[in-house]
Amino acid sequence: MKTKLLLLAAMFISTACANMDMNNVMETAGKVAKGPAPISETQEISMGRGIASNLLGAAPLLDNRPVQKYVNQVGRWLTLNAERPDLPWHFAVLDDEDVNAFAVPGGYIFITKGLLVHIKSEAELAGVLAHEISHVLRRHHVEAIRKSTRTSIITDFAKDSLKDSGLGSVLTNLIGVGTELYARGLDKNDEYEADRMGVVIAARAGYDPYGLPAVLQTLQGMNPTHSNLALMFKTHPSLSDRLDLLDRTMSGSMDRFEAQPDLANRFTKVIGQ
Amino acid sequence: MKWKAIVFLGLLSSFSVAGLTQAGWVQAGEIAYTVRPTELKAKPYSDAVTLARLEQRTKVEVIGQRSSWRQVQVDGKAGWVKMLSLKFNHVDRKAGDTGLATLFNVVTTGSTGSSVTTGVRGLSEDDLKHTKPNPKALEVMDTYAVNKADAQRFAKVGKLSSQSMGYIAEPASGGKK
Repeated sequence: MKTKLLLLAAMFISTACANMDMNNVMETAGKVAKGPAPISETQEISMGRGIASNLLGAAPLLDNRPVQKYVNQVGRWLTLNAERPDLPWHFAVLDDEDVNAFAVPGGYIFITKGLLVHIKSEAELAGVLAHEISHVLRRHHVEAIRKSTRTSIITDFAKDSLKDSGLGSVLTNLIGVGTELYARGLDKNDEYEADRMGVVIAARAGYDPYGLPAVLQTLQGMNPTHSNLALMFKTHPSLSDRLDLLDRTMSGSMDRFEAQPDLANRFTKVIGQ
Repeated sequence: MKWKAIVFLGLLSSFSVAGLTQAGWVQAGEIAYTVRPTELKAKPYSDAVTLARLEQRTKVEVIGQRSSWRQVQVDGKAGWVKMLSLKFNHVDRKAGDTGLATLFNVVTTGSTGSSVTTGVRGLSEDDLKHTKPNPKALEVMDTYAVNKADAQRFAKVGKLSSQSMGYIAEPASGGKK
């Protein structure tokens, strides 16, 4: 329907402007109707690796292999209970005091030490990771990058990758756009969706699903003016709105999962090694 | 090694400031307020005996937790309320004020009060805008990855079993715009 309208509009314009190059008009109409070329999974992963590398340029990895392994075990298990289980999922703790977590296209998930120290159980960790995993499942960042980039660049990217040219200039450009997105944040509704999906993925993986709201409530108990919370607060909807929506989402539907374990002891044991 | 020392200290601190309940760790004595009229239950179940009806904005002290329930003390009575009926007071606490976090700060910065945001690198908005790639760290991150079989073993040890549940639709009144 939309396509037909666009073509009609294109035809109207071409009739009205007698001296306009007909080929150009039809080409433009075709591009608008189809939108920019889709970004393939391989492209998503290349872009993700570049963005992940940039985030690691801003904050170092926590130098503790057992903790890094443990976070990967929890995360990888969650991904086996969701779509896209075959992405090359990677998880890491960043050695940074800022309270935050990041999802990067292609399956790169980061959580800061600043957030990890406020987490009390494996189910809470799972809740946070599942929220981030959901952003990747729904390709929220890929879509946001597409929206904030000129159609022609995305189209060039599609062509570029057909030639398998590696880290071409177009890719570098998109990685730059992608990295800046973490300072700006996603659409509020993407965050709400990741909250709703995150609690379900945690429940599916066998965890007490109330881990995510518990973490949000802990954050709510902190002084919101503290600088370590600034970026997280700037790039996310308010905690009260998120908790209010989770409350409405979870009441009733999650009762049957309440007895699932939170594995607070395993969490404490590993983090305490 | 540094991390081990930090975590060890953190744990010691947690033992001293936190109560270990059946369901996990809770910071003892946190103050919260009810955000709606709420029933104080004898046990953490919807069909448990109601001990009292708490009005909106009743001040409670949180003393324990289990899944969606929080054990609270109010007017000398202990009981359970739904977690999402509470809002935590942030006046008395700030980031880094909990036991584990405070010790992280002490060990990593040598001071108790200041936050660490003035370093060369970090995750502030400005840092993210001016970051450079770190491919070596990315290679290290690659080595942390866990394969499917490992993840399944890990779940089995924790007695986690997969459940089936579809995603929940957006609540009828819609997401907040």
